[in-house]
Amino acid sequence: MTDAVVTMPFENQKLDNHISVVVPISDRRDDILNLYRDYEAALTESTKSFDFIFVLDGDFNDTFARLQEMRAEFDNITIIRLARQFGESTALNAGFEHATGELILTLPPYYQIEPSALPALIRSFHSYDMIIGRRWPRTDSLLNRIGTRLFHRIIRLMTGYTYRDLGCGVRLIRHDVVENVTLYGDLHRFLPVLANYYGYTVKEVSLPQSKHDPRVRLYRPGIYFRRMLDLFAVFFVVKFTKKPLRFFGLVGGTLAIIGGVLLSGIAYQRLFLDVALGNRPALLLSTLLIVLGTQLIALGLIGELIIFTHARELREYHIAEIVN
Amino acid sequence: MTDKSTPADKHIDISIVVPLFNESESVMPLYGAIMAAMAGSDYRFEILLIDDGSVDGTADIIKDLAKNNPLLRLIRFRRNFGQTAAMSAGIDHARGRIIVTMDGDLQNDPRDIGKLVSRIESGADIVVGWRRNRQDRWLTRKVPSRIANWLIGKVTGVPIRDNGCSLKAYRHSIITRIPLYSEMHRFIPAMASLSGAKIEEIPVRHHARMHGESKYGLGRAYRVLLDLLTVKALISFSNRPLLLFSLLALPPFVLVLSGCMYLAYQFIFTTNDYVVVPVSLILQMIATCTFLFLCGALGELVLRAGTTRVDLFSRLTAELNDD
Repeated sequence: MTDAVVTMPFENQKLDNHISVVVPISDRRDDILNLYRDYEAALTESTKSFDFIFVLDGDFNDTFARLQEMRAEFDNITIIRLARQFGESTALNAGFEHATGELILTLPPYYQIEPSALPALIRSFHSYDMIIGRRWPRTDSLLNRIGTRLFHRIIRLMTGYTYRDLGCGVRLIRHDVVENVTLYGDLHRFLPVLANYYGYTVKEVSLPQSKHDPRVRLYRPGIYFRRMLDLFAVFFVVKFTKKPLRFFGLVGGTLAIIGGVLLSGIAYQRLFLDVALGNRPALLLSTLLIVLGTQLIALGLIGELIIFTHARELREYHIAEIVN
Repeated sequence: MTDKSTPADKHIDISIVVPLFNESESVMPLYGAIMAAMAGSDYRFEILLIDDGSVDGTADIIKDLAKNNPLLRLIRFRRNFGQTAAMSAGIDHARGRIIVTMDGDLQNDPRDIGKLVSRIESGADIVVGWRRNRQDRWLTRKVPSRIANWLIGKVTGVPIRDNGCSLKAYRHSIITRIPLYSEMHRFIPAMASLSGAKIEEIPVRHHARMHGESKYGLGRAYRVLLDLLTVKALISFSNRPLLLFSLLALPPFVLVLSGCMYLAYQFIFTTNDYVVVPVSLILQMIATCTFLFLCGALGELVLRAGTTRVDLFSRLTAELNDD
């Protein structure tokens, strides 16, 4: 449970800690040898020892062959090849499992940022648990930047944490963090949010965006939809893990109350004002609201039952240290 | 990690668990008061202070104290996780065969610990403090709490006058079996009563707040209500979810039946042109019944796959004589 001690007394001194660099490789990738050389130069400048772990998320035979050549030449490279494409979270998890350093640095498999700016980021690692890169100044279009800003505004609204660039693949993480935070699905983008939620300190550091980065910037609509779903999943986990009924109950209860008020209005009209009931759609609407509310509350109760039956395995707190 | 709690240690009788959140001014007086209160007793005790993510240096004060006293233990959280989480961390790490919990703001009096412990020794499983002369604001604290206690007593069937009092004593073997999460610490007596645990309530002293300010307010009513609904459902039905959801499905089912009878009557005795709305209403209710009933089936599945069940901690009555 003890934190790695990171000391950094002078501006240009190297970090003492061993850094394991994890590079998840997927469809979008640049020439891996050039990239490795640039990254390696940056790390040599900023830390005393480091090693590289390349995780191939899929077949990518050309890159695999290139990596094997590189491994013959350099001795600090580990290659992990996943059996099929699992997604970046799984690739990162596989890399984390093999990471031996006290610190882990994740880097994108393409020129997203200027590698020459990395030493500054690594050196800013003082008492934080996690440093995330923020592409700034940015070189891509205004439209993309507005999209990014909107996305992060929603994140702040939903989780209460402020970030400005979760899409940046540069993250310097204390090993302890990845031991505790579980990644799955597409949640890697929200690793800082989850780390914050577990009580770790996260800091954003600006890195100049590489001029090669703004290449593909408009995605299929499905991608945006999935990202919103991920966001909702994180929101739900962060806010309501242990109290599902508070969420479902609030939504369901509100709907049911609206329906109830509507229904009593209709009943009043039928009984005292003699308005015929048989062909009023409002009746259907009000009963629908009540029914929907009940169903949501039922779902909430199922959620509570799930939490209750697993209460012994779930831990609600995270301990930084125990004395005596 | 099937069981996260620390087993009771033969060398320690009492664990005093105190959650602290930004209580740097209270720590020293609290520590002094506990040590003074325990000075005369023959019990071997430990003090577990849980720093719930304080930012005012509470942990540093405790660390200084802990250097000279091995009986003082500190658990520091990464951030603020709330009082129940702090209590459950303390209970998970407690080694004494009796666990006493209390507030860190000096409103509870450590001199009452002896009284609580003696009730445990004479056979009670849980002893709940009752702040008879409560030193809080009347309108914003006392009245809501009175209503909440009345409601909790009615719904759970365990009439306790003061569920909100943190000063409580538990037998280690009982409290470590009760799932403690969210804000469930209010409902421990209700949960425990299911197991047949013997619960007693005794009056304790209560002091006005000296340092800092109260961390609660009003405006939590809807949460307490929903939590209460949860607890009621768990207490009554967590062993038979299908029954709970079938009961929920009963009103729409009755509506379906009576609606069908009405339609049949209309069809046979009067004109046979039926109106759309009643028919759609019936169809809606049929869908609801199906949904709720299948929710119950899902509940059974959840229960089967889970690791905690009410009857698992009910069994402890038989094991009470172990210690």
